[in-house]
Parts: sequence; structure tokens; C-alpha cells
Amino acid sequence: MSQTVFAPWNDPDETPLIRFKGVTKRFGGFTAIDDLTLDIYAREFFALLGPSGCGKTTLMRMLAGFENATEGTIELSGQNIAPIPPNKRAVNMMFQSYALFPHLSVWENIAFGLKRESTDKEAISARVEEMLRLTRLTKFAKRKPHQISGGQRQRVALARSLAKAPKLLLLDEPLGALDKKLREETQFELMDIQEKTGTTFVIVTHDQEEAMTVASRVAVMDEGRLVQVDTPDVIYEAPNSVYVADFIGDVNIIEGHATPEGERARIDWAEGQPPIWGTPRGAAGTGSGAGKVAFAIRPEKVAIAKEKPEGRRNLLEGQVIDIAYLGNSSTYHVKIADGRIFKAQTANTRRLVNRDITWEDRVWLSFTETAGVILEG
Amino acid sequence: MRKAFLIAVPYLWLLLLFLVPFLIVLKISLSDIALAIPPYTPTLDVSAGWQGIREFFAALDFENYVFLTTDDLYWKAYLSSLQIAGVSTLITLAVGYPIAYAMARAAPEWRPTLLMLVILPFWTSFLIRVYSWMGILSSEGVLNQLLMGLGLISEPLQILSTNIAVYIGIVYTYLPFMILPIYAALEKMDESLLEAAEDLGCSRLSAFWLVTVPLSKSGIIAGCFLVFIPAIGEFVIPSLLGGSNTLMIGKVLWEEFFSNRDWPVASAVAIILLLILIVPIVLFQRNEQKAREAEG
Repeated sequence: MSQTVFAPWNDPDETPLIRFKGVTKRFGGFTAIDDLTLDIYAREFFALLGPSGCGKTTLMRMLAGFENATEGTIELSGQNIAPIPPNKRAVNMMFQSYALFPHLSVWENIAFGLKRESTDKEAISARVEEMLRLTRLTKFAKRKPHQISGGQRQRVALARSLAKAPKLLLLDEPLGALDKKLREETQFELMDIQEKTGTTFVIVTHDQEEAMTVASRVAVMDEGRLVQVDTPDVIYEAPNSVYVADFIGDVNIIEGHATPEGERARIDWAEGQPPIWGTPRGAAGTGSGAGKVAFAIRPEKVAIAKEKPEGRRNLLEGQVIDIAYLGNSSTYHVKIADGRIFKAQTANTRRLVNRDITWEDRVWLSFTETAGVILEG
Repeated sequence: MRKAFLIAVPYLWLLLLFLVPFLIVLKISLSDIALAIPPYTPTLDVSAGWQGIREFFAALDFENYVFLTTDDLYWKAYLSSLQIAGVSTLITLAVGYPIAYAMARAAPEWRPTLLMLVILPFWTSFLIRVYSWMGILSSEGVLNQLLMGLGLISEPLQILSTNIAVYIGIVYTYLPFMILPIYAALEKMDESLLEAAEDLGCSRLSAFWLVTVPLSKSGIIAGCFLVFIPAIGEFVIPSLLGGSNTLMIGKVLWEEFFSNRDWPVASAVAIILLLILIVPIVLFQRNEQKAREAEG
């Protein structure tokens, strides 16, 4: 039995649910969104990721209807949404502060949106009960928001925004106020609910792990522009720029000069040092593998050993400066020939007492020719 | 020890400045009028010993309270006071809410200034401010001259010495007491609640009714009581701005006390007024407590 991969963005026949076409948003002299074009498809779990002030929240508020684009159009199901006020849009939002009505009970909060469009008491009641079950809040229906915990409030906010069965649900830093453990649990719950309801989710977050975990596609933003829009694995394994490589996860970056040699490219990065061998990404526009480049490699793809490994072309010798012990893994900070710090990460499959590498040791770092990516410098 | 002392201070204060005077007024209301100094009888003669104390209590009765029911002036004055206070409270709410709303929505750097402007009138004596209203509202006053100058009226309007002037005076005087609690409630309201309401399908107006008004409810109730309670017993405003047909219990009390020199009946009027006020005061306290609980 073959499972079809969910990737509507690769299907040219698929029409997107949301289309940003050349959207610019200015606040006075400040450009929050700069000529942005983006398609989001139905049933996607789409993450907008970036540092604070990159425009991701503005983008979301434009979808909700609280801001209007200065230039360009935003379409929802092929219809320009600019003239539609927020209360008429088939879009609901879960606010960062949750914005639960403090004077209403959990039940009434969830029913709030339903009561605005229908007077059928039984239908409303049935829908509220369904939402309470979905978010496991049935026990708390009669409580006021200040009588429940932060995690429960988060679920009320989610239930309330899902109650009207919107075409599109916007989540503004939905897990920001929760502690780490609860946040991780809730991420899976969110994915589960997204799958059950089949709603398109757009999530705004500055937490890259969160974006990687929940999203079908991630858009990395910087200063009002999209830097890269791709699936989490592509963003991580094949970032298209130093900015993305650096923003997502940990990375070693070495600048140098590349010369293509057959299938590989040779990168000269320091006088008197052996070159690094990488693989140019042929089809992709960037990283052609010639000229001034930046070579990026994740620490977990770098092997560390006390003995010089045989048969590897990419070899760096250095000295262990620091070891960051994270429990399940350790990150070694190794000073290489030109004084640069290179990070290597290994899984702690053996107990700590059996670890043979320690501070001040001379070590060899090695990696394969396909492990890193060559980025345009 | 220290703690007991700290608690004792406010209680002693209340005892001396509220409970003792109240007991004196209560005692006078149970006495009879007399042509003497003080103008009532009996007075407690401690030198007569136990016998004197017993005679003193035997002479007290509820005669003055019975008297209040026989003359319809009194209950009409109570009713009229309640009505004037009630109507003025509603007008104050209608005027004060938009002001408080605008203040809470103003840019944060403007709010202290606006708050100052609301409190500013307190810097002038209340009496002087009421007198200046006489200057504005009288037949030759500023308002009539302005309206005549604009050609809107040919004859001066009779506003001073009517109930309208009393309403204007009460609304003007007590407006800050309405604005401040409502402003306090609106100011701490999270703006994203209104966005959430809109997002869930409310129009601006229904978001106001369903979110803003309920969330400022405790402020509205507090403001209404802060206006209503003192307005019932108001004396200066009706006597200066009102006319001979303005009937308010504060005025009746004053006349009973100073014109008739009937201290016992005046005291009985005051005690009944206090009993009437206990109801709104208790309701006010309950509202404050509920508001505190909702915050906690």
C-alpha cells in the first residue's frame, strides 16, 4: 500500500487557498512587509518563522483583517479579501494572549462566535460540546478563564477559534506562554487536531523547533521578506542562504573560494590548510559551486575521533576547547588550525564515564563530501 | 502587639467619628423637644445615680418617627430625593461613560493629562463652583446672554431655581466620581479582546455591548453608587440652585434643624435617611468585593 505524500505545493494543478500577490505593508516610513508573494494550500500546517520584528505577525494580522495591505492583493479561495471586514471572514485567529473573555465561562467563550451567526440553541450546544471533547475540556465547561491553568486556557482559545469551523485558522505564538514540557505535548495535540478537523493552519512562531515539529512547510522571514519557503527537512538540510542556515539549528560556517572539480567542488578556505570538498547543488539556483562561497555543515554531521580516520578527504585537526553536555548528546567545541571554533555533535550512546575524549585532547574532525551545503557567500 | 495596635487605630477612628455621633443622633431622635439648651429632653443626669439612668431611658420613645408618617411632607421629600438622585445618576452615567471611554482609548502619553483635567475642579471650593453656576444659569447669566446674543431666544430662560438647575448642579459636581471608576475598569481592558470579538463575528457595536460594557460593569456600578449615595442627601445644591418647589430631604432636614429648632424630628429624619442609604451602600460593597474576586 503506497501512501500519497501531502505536497500540494508541488502539484501545478492545485489552486492555493491563500495567495499573497506582491503584498507590501508600510507603517508610516517603516516597511513591515516588502513585496511578498506566497501561496498557501488547503489543509496545510504552515509556519511563519522569524525573529521578532520580521513582519510575521503583520502578515497574520492582514489575513485576519486587522491590517490592510498598502500594496498588492491577498486572495482567499480566489477572492480578494481586502474589502471584507474581520467579522465577515471565514478566518479565525487564536491570539497570543488567548484573549479569552474574562466575564464568560469556558462554555460561553466557545459558544461566543457560534451565537453571532445562529440562534439555533441545540446546534450551538452540540457544537460546543464537540469542541469541549476535542480539546478535553468537558470538565471545565462551567469555569471562568481565571479559574483554569495556562494549558487549559490555551485549549479554550483553540476550541473557541475552531468552533466556527473556519477555512483558515491563524495561530499567533500559540504555545509561547507554556513551559517546555507542556509545549512539546501541545505541539502534537495541535497536529492531531489539525489532522482531525482538516483545517488549514497558519502558525506564527519565533521558535524554530516548534515550526519544524508542527509544520508541513516553513517560511523563514527576515525584515519583511521571505528568505526560504520549504518543508522542514529541506530548510534544515538544504538552506538557501547563510541566514536560514544560521537561524535554524546549529551550524558551522566556513567562507572560502570554490572551484568545481567534476562532481565535487574544492573549497580553499585558509592558507596552508587542506581544502574542503563539497557537493554543488546542480539544479538549485544557488550554490553553483564557484567563486566566493560559504560552506555550511551541521555539527551532528561532523564526526570526532582521537585517531586519524582513514579514507576521508575532509579532515580537520584541532583541540577540544569546550564540551557542552546535553544529556542525550554532547557538543564539542574544537579549535582548528586558524583559530576558528568548529562544532561537532555526537549522540551519547555510551555512559558519560566511558567517554574517551576530554578537554585539551587533540582530535580529528571528519565529514563526507555530501554532508554540507555550499551557499552563495 | 504591634499588629493589634495597627488594627485598633482605624477601629478607634470609626468609633470616635462615626459610631459615637451616630448614637448621639439616635438618642436625640428618641427625645422630646424642649425650650432649653440643649433643646431636647431628657438629658442624662449621672449624679442622680442608677435611678437617674432608669428615668432617662424611660423618657425615650418613638414619637418623632410616628410624627414623620403623619405629615406627607417627609415621605414626599424622601421620594423626591430618591428620584432626583436616581435621574441625576443616569444622566451622569450617560455623560461620564463616553468621557471615560475616550480617556481609556487615548494615547497613553495623554492619559495622565486627561486624568488631571477630570480632577482639576476639586482644586476650587465646591461652594464657589456652585455659586458660579448661579452666575451662569440666572436670568441675566452667561448662558441666557449667550443664547439671546445668538438670537436663539428672545426672553431669558428660567433655569435657576428649578429642578433643571439642581440636575445640572449634581451632574456637574459628581461627574468625576462617575468617570474615574469607569476609566479604571476600561483602562485595564485588553484590546485584543475586542479584536477577538470581531474575529468571532461581532460588529464594532455588538463587540462594545458584549465585551466592553460587561467588562466595565464593576466600574459602572461603583460610579453609580458614588454619585447616587451622596446625591440623595445633597443639601447645598438644591438650596442654592433649586427653587421653593425643589423638595429634597437634605433641605427639609436643614430647615427642621435650624429654622424650627426641632432637633429630635431633624434627628429622626437623619436616621431614616441613613436606613435608606444602607441598602445602596451594602450593594456597593458587594460589587466592590465581587470585582476584587474577579481580579484575583
